[in-house]
Amino acid sequence: MSKEKLTIGEVSKPRFEFRTFGREFDVAAYLMSRLSVPVPRKVWERNSEEIYIVSKTNDVNNTKIRDGKMDIKTFVQEVDGLEQWNPLMKGEFPIKAETLKNNVFPAFKVEGLPTLDKSEYTLKEFLEMVSSHPDLQAVNVEKERYGYMVHDTICEYAVVHINGASVVTVNSESTEVEDIKETIKDMELEGVENINYLQAIKRVIGMIDKKLAN
Amino acid sequence: MVTTTQPRYEFRIFGNNLKKYENIINKLSEKEITREMDSIYLLTPWKRKNNVKIREGVMDIKILEQELDGLEQWNPFLVGKFPLKADVIKSVVFPTLGIESPVFERKKYSLDQFINEVVCIDPDLAVAYVWKIRHAYTVNECITEIAEIKVNGASIKTICVESEDPAKVLEAKKILNMGSKMENVNYPLALKRVMGLTKLPDYWNKIDF
Repeated sequence: MSKEKLTIGEVSKPRFEFRTFGREFDVAAYLMSRLSVPVPRKVWERNSEEIYIVSKTNDVNNTKIRDGKMDIKTFVQEVDGLEQWNPLMKGEFPIKAETLKNNVFPAFKVEGLPTLDKSEYTLKEFLEMVSSHPDLQAVNVEKERYGYMVHDTICEYAVVHINGASVVTVNSESTEVEDIKETIKDMELEGVENINYLQAIKRVIGMIDKKLAN
Repeated sequence: MVTTTQPRYEFRIFGNNLKKYENIINKLSEKEITREMDSIYLLTPWKRKNNVKIREGVMDIKILEQELDGLEQWNPFLVGKFPLKADVIKSVVFPTLGIESPVFERKKYSLDQFINEVVCIDPDLAVAYVWKIRHAYTVNECITEIAEIKVNGASIKTICVESEDPAKVLEAKKILNMGSKMENVNYPLALKRVMGLTKLPDYWNKIDF
């Protein structure tokens, strides 16, 4: 079977991902930039503002809101320490009560669904529901992302501000596990913990008592 | 409890882009001392503004005495070194945090026992692990600090001006071009913001704040 050729910024089959977070990955970032093939200008540098909804009782669904659109990804499997996530749901605000009841709140895996007495909800109303739920938290995340392509994997170095405090992250993602493993080796990241966004955010906000990779 | 120093008035800011203030401080003062330290802060989602932290196995509390012209006057107390008596935790620490004390199963608690058996199981308490590198300066006779801190591994900077004399702090603020509308943010409030225990003001989460 031939490999799928990945194109940065375009939809592909579900990808496997290695990502880690810490205070500095200067060596990995340097190697990434030197090993990368030229990438489209639009991914050289991207900034985004997002809201992640984290739940004390759930590590398998990743919910984020960007530009008024909600995107939920679900964990599919782990292969050789790499994680594969699939899109579970995409929605837009104002969002229907039915979608909140049937798709969004079940993804949080929390008890105590809020009373939904309106037919649809704005983002502000949804965030108020989140804020009043004891097991849910909305977290503001701002990203400065720098895109690369190493060994046919989509790579990124990013400075991420989680509720205003900053961490850095590096990642490699692809449909091909072996290509990611080769990239991890060449970026001198072998043995470094694979930490996804949900985990990193939970560690910074103290929902999980565990350190980042460095 | 032992009062450690005279209560000082304090003005503190947090951000990722404080270079313009750092430049003025560096022009006005030599760096006097640099210290690194690890602290554990105990936080509650409530509005109580007291500051409860553990450093090098010693619990210390700062009580917010008053607010004056946008400055906060903090009164520090040393609670004691771990192991701490359950009675002290019950009668001093929990009232300062503003939450109800649990039933204690031990008479004394080591730091690990206190964190794992008391703090971590209390739904009203959160813990922030904070590493700091603090650089001390003097501006207008005020203790002035530039510090890089990591809150549960995430970085942010802080600058503080403090003195027993509030007029000197207000004058130092002017010298540092810290306008009268700048928000005075104490450690517990900053940590609560990073940890999502309280609402973020708009300015807080901008990349260049």
